[in-house]
Amino acid sequence: MSYLLPHLHSGWAVDQAILAEEDRLVIIRFGHDWDETCMQMDEVLASVAETIKNFAVLYLVDITEVPDFNTMYELYDPSTIMFFFRNKHIMIDLGTGNNNKINWAMKDKQEFIDIVETVYRGARKGRGLVIAPKDYSTKYRY
Amino acid sequence: MATLTDSFLADLEELSDNEADVLDEDNGDAEQMEEDVDGDLADIEALNYDDLDSVSKLQKTQRYNDIMQKVEDALGRGSDISYQGIVLEDDPEYQLIVDCNALSVDIENEIVITHNFIRDKYRLKFPELESLVHHPIDYARVVKKIGNEMDLTLVDLEGLLPSAIIMVVSVTASTTSGKPLPDEALQKAIDACDRALTLDSAKKKVLDFVESRMGYIAPNLSAVVGSAVAAKLMGTAGGLSALAKMPACNVQLLGAKRKTLAGFSTANSQFRVGYLEQTEIFQSTPPSLRMRACRLLAGKSTLAARIDSIRGDPTGKEGRSFRDEILKKIEKWQEPPPAKQPKPLPAPDSEPKKKRGGRRLRKTKERYALTDMRKLANRMAFGVPEESSLGDGLGEGYGMLGQAGSGKLRVSAGPSKLSGKVAKRFKEKNYGSSGATSGLTSSLAFTPVQGIELSNPQAFANQLGSGTQSTYFSETGTFSKIKRT
Repeated sequence: MSYLLPHLHSGWAVDQAILAEEDRLVIIRFGHDWDETCMQMDEVLASVAETIKNFAVLYLVDITEVPDFNTMYELYDPSTIMFFFRNKHIMIDLGTGNNNKINWAMKDKQEFIDIVETVYRGARKGRGLVIAPKDYSTKYRY
Repeated sequence: MATLTDSFLADLEELSDNEADVLDEDNGDAEQMEEDVDGDLADIEALNYDDLDSVSKLQKTQRYNDIMQKVEDALGRGSDISYQGIVLEDDPEYQLIVDCNALSVDIENEIVITHNFIRDKYRLKFPELESLVHHPIDYARVVKKIGNEMDLTLVDLEGLLPSAIIMVVSVTASTTSGKPLPDEALQKAIDACDRALTLDSAKKKVLDFVESRMGYIAPNLSAVVGSAVAAKLMGTAGGLSALAKMPACNVQLLGAKRKTLAGFSTANSQFRVGYLEQTEIFQSTPPSLRMRACRLLAGKSTLAARIDSIRGDPTGKEGRSFRDEILKKIEKWQEPPPAKQPKPLPAPDSEPKKKRGGRRLRKTKERYALTDMRKLANRMAFGVPEESSLGDGLGEGYGMLGQAGSGKLRVSAGPSKLSGKVAKRFKEKNYGSSGATSGLTSSLAFTPVQGIELSNPQAFANQLGSGTQSTYFSETGTFSKIKRT
């Protein structure tokens, strides 16, 4: 479903996308369109893109085509979701230990929407770290 | 009169004695009919009558012959329609068309009468046929074809009837109770069939003529339904003004035939559609929408007929616009419904909260506030592992609950936040036991204000001596069994 979402093809475009958005979250998926994990994630992203368009905008970035952020954001997972608001990276406490990003494929649309809403709420209030509505530590996964 | 008496005699010969009284009635009716000078429309009750000529007289009338002559002349002349501004009613062509309409109605009646005649004759041979083939002309054709043949497999009805009906007819014929007719009666029936077919072709000719002049008489109506159907509608309704006065729901049924369904349901059989089903618009509509299309057509054609009846628009422009309207509407029905768009969620917290506070809100909050117990369960002491429902950190954690160090199991209730009135009533209820003097009652009072504390006496004793703190795994414990020597 990645073809339904806008791609960013250069580091400059990514920067502009993050900078230019004034009052919406910018959600960027770093990864490869051909990657299995990314495909799963993109399925969810494409289906919610229209629903959350009032407060979030989605972009896809190919980390081979645009390697500029790989070291800075430590992008070595198959799929990485990061949240930005007014040129600021918003961290989320997901219970996984990595507060910087979502680095697995989420399969539930509603869960993803909930996370985005929480992040938006926190970011509007000026928080740099928000707590995800659900704990994604392994304790609760099984 | 000679023919009459002859036929009576013939009747007497043919009929069995139990039908003698019927014959008497016939006799009376026939005499009445003879007295009927006009004789244009034969009385329906007189139809049992045996002689065809006395029953159907239309073909012999002056009017029939005149009109047919004129029609044939006009058809031979071709259409030299003049569009001069003469008043329509004065135009001889228009008069002829009006006459034609009246005549075609008469012919239709005549056909029904002849049909009755044939049925009466042929009933003896094949009683079931009239319920299988309703349409008079079809019936006449079939009768003519079958004649006195008893084995229907030898008769080829192909082209006269639909194949399903042919099958039903031949199956029924194999079990019929009918007997072959005597030659004379058969000859009469076949003559009547010929008569019916002649009348039908005459009617067709009249309708052809009316149809060819339709563009002049009713330009709007023929623009909507086509000139052939317009002519048929006008003919059946009995003229343009009659059609204009008719409500649309009746126009829809003009020319509707009774159909043999052979036991099938009426759901899909286009049951209540008349001539309008022959229109091009109706035929090009998918079957599921045909009924709607038909209603629409009927409505618009009535409007068009009304326009035509007062010569409102001789160019037929209004009719063409009706037609376009109908086509557009039918096309619109066939469009799929618009795709459902996903509705975007509103941005969270985008609109201000409606509840701002006040006494009532404060009360509700108080009522649903966290209890002390829940508060304790939610809190964690620093450096102390919590207890949990399943032990070892599994299950639901208890937080600081039961960890206060005092061995407390119950949290003492704080000052009640219930409203004064409720609290007072609650107190009155519960202090009942304190004043009692019976030996079975306790002096202990459970008050909602103070609560009661139950303590485990052993908890204190164990606190230092034994229990978890002094086991092998405890941090302060030592190898208790082994003493240093």
